[in-house]
Amino acid sequence: MRWFLHLMDVVSRYTDVIAGAALVSIMLLTSFDVVLRYLGRPILGAYDMVTLGGAFVIGFAVPRTSWDKTHVSVDILVERIPERKDIFDLSTRAVAIFFFAVLAWNLTKMGTGFLKTGESTLTLALPLYPIAFALGFCCFIQCFVLLSDMVKIVFGEADHE
Amino acid sequence: MNEIIIGIVGIFLLMLLFLTNIEISFAMGIIGYLGYAMIVSPQGATTIITKDLFETFASYGLTVVPLFVLMGQIAFNAGVAKRLYDGSYKFLGHIPGGLALATVVGVTVFKAICGSAAATTATFASVAVPEMDRFGYSKKLSTGIVAVAGTLGNLLPPSVTLIIFGMITEQSIGKLFLAGFFPGLLLSALFALIIVGWCKVDPLVGPKGNRYTWKERIASLPAIIWPIVIFVLMVGGLMGGMFTPTEAGSVGTLAVLLFALFSGQLGFTGLKKSIVESLRTSCMVLMLIATSTILGHFFAVTKIPAIAAHWVVQLPIHRHFIMALIMLIYLLGGSFIDDLAFMMLATPIFFPAIVKLGYDPIWAGIMICLTVMIGCVVPPVAMNVFVVKNITKVPFGIIYKGVCPFLISLILLVVLLFIFPDIVLYLPNLLMK
Repeated sequence: MRWFLHLMDVVSRYTDVIAGAALVSIMLLTSFDVVLRYLGRPILGAYDMVTLGGAFVIGFAVPRTSWDKTHVSVDILVERIPERKDIFDLSTRAVAIFFFAVLAWNLTKMGTGFLKTGESTLTLALPLYPIAFALGFCCFIQCFVLLSDMVKIVFGEADHE
Repeated sequence: MNEIIIGIVGIFLLMLLFLTNIEISFAMGIIGYLGYAMIVSPQGATTIITKDLFETFASYGLTVVPLFVLMGQIAFNAGVAKRLYDGSYKFLGHIPGGLALATVVGVTVFKAICGSAAATTATFASVAVPEMDRFGYSKKLSTGIVAVAGTLGNLLPPSVTLIIFGMITEQSIGKLFLAGFFPGLLLSALFALIIVGWCKVDPLVGPKGNRYTWKERIASLPAIIWPIVIFVLMVGGLMGGMFTPTEAGSVGTLAVLLFALFSGQLGFTGLKKSIVESLRTSCMVLMLIATSTILGHFFAVTKIPAIAAHWVVQLPIHRHFIMALIMLIYLLGGSFIDDLAFMMLATPIFFPAIVKLGYDPIWAGIMICLTVMIGCVVPPVAMNVFVVKNITKVPFGIIYKGVCPFLISLILLVVLLFIFPDIVLYLPNLLMK
C-alpha cells in the first residue's frame, strides 16, 4: 500500500500549493486594491475575488492539514490506554470519512444547483459553482487522506509517538 | 425525545468523542450534524452542514485569519523578534531583572505584527531564555515570563482570538482590537512590576546584564520602531474606516514581507515556510469555526442557549458572580480541550446569557480572551507552557513555578476590568462610536 500513501502525500502537497498560491494572491490583490482605491482606480470586484479566493485557501489546505495532523485533538485518555489507540483511531477515521463524504457529495450537489440557477457574485457576476465543486473535490480528497491514516494503522506505519 | 434532552445527550456525546483522540473540529461537526438530523430532519442537516462549510470557507470576513497569521509567520521567520529583543535588551539589560523586562517589551512590540500566541512564545523561548541563562537568571523567572508574556498575543491587537470572537458573536473586530489595547498594555506593565518586585526580594533571580552606550541603544531603535509603524498603519487605518480588517491584514502582511525581503532577512525558504505554517494554523482555525457554526445551529434548535440565558438571568446572585462563574467554566473547559476550541464551542451558549446580564459584548469579548490567556498557562492543557518546555527542555514543574507569580497579574487585571470596565471600553467608545 506504499504507492497509495505516496500518492496521497503528493496529492495533498499539490492541493497545498494551490492554497498557498491563493493566499499570496489574496494578499497582493487586496493590498493593490487599497493603494489603487486611493489613486481613484479601485480594482473592480476585488471583494468577490477575495471571497472566492478565501475558499481556495482553506479548502485546498484541508487535506494537507489532516495529513500533517495539525488539527487540535485531545489524547489524554488514549495515551493512558495505548493498546486501544489503534481501535480508537480506526473508528474515528471511519466516522470522519462518513462526515467528509456527506460534505463532498452535497457540495457537488450544491455546485450542480448553482450551475443550473446561474448563481453568481454580486459585482463581477463570477459563477459560484466552481467554488462548490472545488470544495467538494477537497472534501473528497480529505476522505482519501483519512483512509490513508487507516492504511498506516493497519499496515503498522502509524505515527505512534 | 424532546429537543432539550437531545441537546444534553449531544453535549455528553461530544465530550465522550473528544476523549477518543478525534480532531475536535470533526467531532463538533459530526455531533452537530447528527443532532440537527434528529431534531429537524436528515435532509435539513445535510443542507445546513454544506451551507455552513461553504459560507465559512468562502467568507470575505474570515480571510482576515490567514492574512494575520501569515504576517506573524513572516515576522517570525525573518528573525524580527530577535532584533526586537536585542534592542530592548540594550535599553533594559543592565538593571536587575532587565532581561526579563526586555522580554516583556519585546513580546509587546512583536505582538503588534504577530497574531499568534504560540508563535510569539516559541520565538521568545528560543531567543530570550538562552540569553537569560547566560547571565545566570533563575530558570523559574526565564521560562515563566516567556510562557506568560506569550499570552499577550490573545489580547493585544491583531489577536486571532479576538478576530474569532468577533466572527462568532458578530461584533466589530476593529472595536475588539481597540478594546484589547489598554488591558494588554496594563498587563505588560503588571508583568514588569512583578519582575521588579521579584528581583528586589531575591536579587539572585535576575542578575544585572551588560550596560550599553547610548550610541548603541539608539542604533538598535529601528528594530523596535518599524513594527510599531506597521501596527499604527494597520490599526489606524482600521479605526479610521480606511481599511476593512482583511485589508488591514493584507497591507500589514505586504509591508512586513517587503521589509523582510528588502532587508535580506527573509529568503525563499523562509517565505515558503511562512506560507505553509500559516496554511496549517488557518485551516485548523477555520475548520473549528465552520464546525462550531454547525454545532451552534444544532444548539439553536435545542433552544439550550435561550433557556440557559433565561435561567442565568433569573439566578438570585450578583451578575459579576455569574460572569465569574461563566469564566470559570471557560477555564475548566479549556483545560479539558484546547482553550480556543472551547471558546468556539461555549460562546454560542453563553454569549446570549452574558448580553442578557447587561454586559457590553466588547467587554465580554476581552474578559473571555483573558480567560483563554489564563488557560494557556495553567495545567493540565497549558499550550504556552508546552511550547516553552519543548524548546527549552526545562521540566514542567519549574516552568509552572515561574508562571505562578505572573498569574497574580492576570487575576488582578480580571478584577480591575470588573471594577473599571472603561479600561476596555474607553478607546472603542472614543474612536469608533
